[in-house]
Amino acid sequence: MVSLFKNTFIEKRTIVLKKKITRLSFLLPTLILLAIFILYPAISTLYLSLVTPSGNIDPISNYEDVFGRREIINTKGISQGFEFPLGALLHNLLWIIIHLPITTFLGLILAILLRDVKGNAVIKSIIFLGMVIPMIVGGLIVRFMFDKYVGIIPSFLNIFGVIPKNWTIYPETALFSMILGSIWLWTGFSMILYSAGLSTIPQSYYEAAKVDGASPMRIFFSITLPMLKPITTVVITMTVLWELKIFDLVYVATMGGPGGSSNVLALQMYLYAFRQYNFTRASVVATILMLITMLVAIPMIKSSKGEERS
Amino acid sequence: MFKEKNLNRQPIVGLFVVLFLTFFILSGIFVQAQDAVTLTLIHPWSGAEWEQFEPVIKEAETALGIKIEARAIRSEDLVTLLPTQWPAGTAPGDVIFLTVPSLILKGAEEGHVMDVTDVVNPGDFVPGSVGYVTAENGKVFAAPFAEGVKPGFWYRKSFFQKNGLKEPTTWTEFIDLLKAIQEIEGIKAAIGSGNGTGWPLSDVTEHFLVAFGGPQLLNELASGNKSEETWSLVEAIFKGWLAKLIGDGYFSEPIEWTTAQDMWWNGDFGLFFMGNWLTAMVEDPSDLGIFPIPGTKGITGAIDFLTASAYTEHPEETKALLEWLSTEGQKVRVKFGGTVSTYRSVPLDLYPPAEKMLAAKTSEMEPLFDLDDVIGGEFQTTFWDQLKLLWVKPEKVDDVLEVIHDAYLEAF
Repeated sequence: MVSLFKNTFIEKRTIVLKKKITRLSFLLPTLILLAIFILYPAISTLYLSLVTPSGNIDPISNYEDVFGRREIINTKGISQGFEFPLGALLHNLLWIIIHLPITTFLGLILAILLRDVKGNAVIKSIIFLGMVIPMIVGGLIVRFMFDKYVGIIPSFLNIFGVIPKNWTIYPETALFSMILGSIWLWTGFSMILYSAGLSTIPQSYYEAAKVDGASPMRIFFSITLPMLKPITTVVITMTVLWELKIFDLVYVATMGGPGGSSNVLALQMYLYAFRQYNFTRASVVATILMLITMLVAIPMIKSSKGEERS
Repeated sequence: MFKEKNLNRQPIVGLFVVLFLTFFILSGIFVQAQDAVTLTLIHPWSGAEWEQFEPVIKEAETALGIKIEARAIRSEDLVTLLPTQWPAGTAPGDVIFLTVPSLILKGAEEGHVMDVTDVVNPGDFVPGSVGYVTAENGKVFAAPFAEGVKPGFWYRKSFFQKNGLKEPTTWTEFIDLLKAIQEIEGIKAAIGSGNGTGWPLSDVTEHFLVAFGGPQLLNELASGNKSEETWSLVEAIFKGWLAKLIGDGYFSEPIEWTTAQDMWWNGDFGLFFMGNWLTAMVEDPSDLGIFPIPGTKGITGAIDFLTASAYTEHPEETKALLEWLSTEGQKVRVKFGGTVSTYRSVPLDLYPPAEKMLAAKTSEMEPLFDLDDVIGGEFQTTFWDQLKLLWVKPEKVDDVLEVIHDAYLEAF
């Protein structure tokens, strides 16, 4: 009896071990690729950011040097009443502050408005076009959208008496022109996610609310919005990550100018690495971006794990 | 039974046909591969400028018996592309056009660019041109091709005649001319400001530096002179002349340069500062007139240098192509206008009339190299970017100068 139990136990352990080995062997190629192409470069970049050009480990001086540079934080511009350029770090922050709420809210509203509209698939596809356009092309489009002579935005504003000007060449409007252009490019993403999310909300909730006499506004805030919380988390996280790594649109539209007034961290990292050949500074910026990204991504992962468990 | 036999034979026959055809095709490819060497040539031109250069490639193929695959990559993009490809032991082409001597010499020092001393004779080219790409040990690492000079302000003769204007001979006359043009109906600004990655604005700026500081100033800046005196002169020119003219509204806001060119040609601007390649880009070159700021003694230019990649699979053919392009190739190129040869054996009668007019006007000027091209690196990017700011905010000239000065000091 005891030996039978023992044999069964050993058999079960062997099966479990075999399963683990099988899982690992399937995961191994991916893990190796991740280690080579993501983990190793990330660790190398982090190490490079901690080492001075002379080879000594001195993280303080490297980070001090980068944060003290006007292209990252322009204290002069800040002290002169927030006159552009403010520095790439603040430009990225502004991008998030303006772009995030507008695209999130706009995407939600569009998803709700187009839910029951005839031909909504076509309309949604048109709005989603911005997402499928390569950002290089998007940058060119933004440049022309805000052009003094042919741009749609200056022409539209001219109807209200605003004198047309070329937004991308003036320091006070260059960054905002790209933020506004990027709203058009990114809103399709949040709209599609919210559309998918709306279709998962049971109709019975809305019917019950109507029977109870709830107003449309009450239904929106009490049913729709709470049920879309997981989607909102994803939209916010992905949007912030996109805003942090924005590069190609800026590169094409303004190259960070004029005078650095539309510069962003990813572009500055590129300029440090491939114009100045200063890989230490570029690594510092890359590490900063990585840390901010992790600050945003980790809560999302935790939140989605929590949702899975519940 | 007869049908069965035939059916059995068909696959075998078919197999023989396929094998024969495959062998035939492969042998043709193999023979072709052995016969025609194909070299990749990286050049920066597109549009009208490409149409002027394409005949040079065709002549080179005929003369050298090789095939040339031409690919366009802008010089501004090569500045970032090459330093990343070189350490990997590769380059985008066999022969590569570059305008930045410092990058060429850096590449030579690190072994990415071939020594072409045996195929480039400095005496065959305009004085000083080969010197930019000669290392301290005397070895030459590139050959000069054609040069784009930035001679001054272009105007349409018909526009001047119609409005009773004439070329200025003093600074006061120049200002009076600008005022007169500004008052003409339909004119948006006296001078159209072309923009791109930043270089048309830097050309204008360097013209002012040469006009008021003399050729000596530009030479000192190019060699890394950090003296307070030199920089004070630069500041004085920026504040006293350049920023003042911009602030007085004589320059338009920066417009993409090909658009600005069209606008100038159509009468939106009276004057347009551009390089001599303009002569090949307008409908009627005979209507072109040119004048520098009165009293200017130097003329800036940018030479397109030909480099041979050290990673080429055909080093001899690559050198032969480089040699041909820098010599005979220039004779072909100048016929299409828009450029000036650095090869001294190119006779003047090969040039179109507009270039002959330009040569007559600039013959007494000292040739100087484009400052931001000579220094390159972060200085060039910063210089371009800050000038874009100066053009729309001339009141920020102090801030602009401070940033440019910092970048200049870091470059040396």
